[in-house]
Amino acid sequence: MEKIFLDTREMEHPEPLQASLFHLQTMSEAHYLYMLNIRKPIPLLEIAKEKGFLFFTHQDANQVWHVLITKNSKTTLEELLDV
Amino acid sequence: MFSQGGLSLEQAPPISVVLRFFVTASIFGVLLGVFLILDSLGLTLSLTANKSVIITHILALGVMASFMLGSLFQMLPVIAGVVIKMPTKKAMIVHLLFVVGLFIQLYAFANSSTPIFYFLASAYLGVGLFYALFLMLKELIKIKDHSSSSKGMILSLSSFGLAIGFGIYLLWSLGGYVDGSFFLQAKELHYSFALFGWLSLLIVSVSFQVIEMFYVTPKYPLWMSKYLTLAIFILLVLKTIAIFMGIEVVLITAFLSILFMVYAGFTIHRLYLRKRPTSDATVWLWRLGMGLLIVTMLITLIDSFIDINLELKMFSYLTFIGFTLSIVFAMTYKIVPFLTWFHLSNQGYMEAPMMHDIVHPKTVKKHFYIHILMLTSIAITLFFNYFILNLLSAILVVVSFGWLLYNLIYAIKKYNYTQKYTEKFEW
Repeated sequence: MEKIFLDTREMEHPEPLQASLFHLQTMSEAHYLYMLNIRKPIPLLEIAKEKGFLFFTHQDANQVWHVLITKNSKTTLEELLDV
Repeated sequence: MFSQGGLSLEQAPPISVVLRFFVTASIFGVLLGVFLILDSLGLTLSLTANKSVIITHILALGVMASFMLGSLFQMLPVIAGVVIKMPTKKAMIVHLLFVVGLFIQLYAFANSSTPIFYFLASAYLGVGLFYALFLMLKELIKIKDHSSSSKGMILSLSSFGLAIGFGIYLLWSLGGYVDGSFFLQAKELHYSFALFGWLSLLIVSVSFQVIEMFYVTPKYPLWMSKYLTLAIFILLVLKTIAIFMGIEVVLITAFLSILFMVYAGFTIHRLYLRKRPTSDATVWLWRLGMGLLIVTMLITLIDSFIDINLELKMFSYLTFIGFTLSIVFAMTYKIVPFLTWFHLSNQGYMEAPMMHDIVHPKTVKKHFYIHILMLTSIAITLFFNYFILNLLSAILVVVSFGWLLYNLIYAIKKYNYTQKYTEKFEW
């Protein structure tokens, strides 16, 4: 699977949501979005859930949130976690 | 507008709920300017006694309350995770009662010989605003895991309730429905709870979330976000008790002033520590607002111990107005483009205009300069009372709110155009 990497840690609101929604709307099943964020992006996750995307979140020891989202329901996102 | 806990954009009300109040606020702002133009032309002489009360209420209710109600309907779901069911219908009821009540109140102030209008104003405004408070407070107090913002909002709305209560008493006194023995005390507390309690506490509470999120700054110190709003509210309650007991309130006012100055200083420092300091007029509006808050509170502090002249007192009222308007403009220019883009994008319009296409940063910068010019010209008129200066500052009030109104209408048009003429994408 091809990774779309998005580091939003220094982006001002609502750039993280704008950028991530753009990727969700345009990516295919061969892609997954890997996002780094300073807080859990609940609005994005709500939208992903509503639109039928698969997602996985993990907060690392530095309090950074790793957010993985894909259209492909057969993917095990946990395995793609990079910490 | 979003925090990490319990928020929900999906539960956010339709964009019309927010814009209804924002457009109303801008229209009242324009009307305020028109009133000031008429005043500078000497066409309001018959209103001499109540002119300042009329101006204060167009500004405090027409402009500020409209902005705050619209913001609250939008921000309660996303900041506090609170859901108001059927928001469109409920916002419409509040809006109608509020606007009709305000016009009646202004008419009553202009024609003080007709007591029934005082009663009607208190009925419409009281029912409309208490209904809004009821809708919001009943949901807010149900929250189990409060954030500093949600707690602050409860205190701010409680202060608003007290300000409305004292306001109703004042209207009844003016109409002769009660004897008005506590008129002066109620007037002092009406202003204190409205300005220090409701408006300022709401700005403080919301800033604890939005400064960090909008501008990627370090968090406020925990002691501040946890205890500041409570301390301010307690001081206001103590002030109420002291005023009714006839005890001097100098120390309480001094403490309040110091707390607000410390808060404003910390906010300016947070903005200085932005991780990505890009040029953004909304940041300048926040800085200006906080600077003006410090000036207001410094004058209030000095006034607590030394008698200051009327011009300086009036100047502190102006700086307070400047503070609240600056923050309101900063928030509006963040909220409106975001909501327009978000609602369209979430509905599946791939060609949804981006935030910069809805309100361009240069447009906000222009408003920032108009705002500064407006405040400066009014400040000059406080010390040099010339006809041309009065007229110019009144025109600038119209230009400032007219500019905002134009930008709101432009956003609405963009929203409607995208819905009507662009393709929807099912995703």
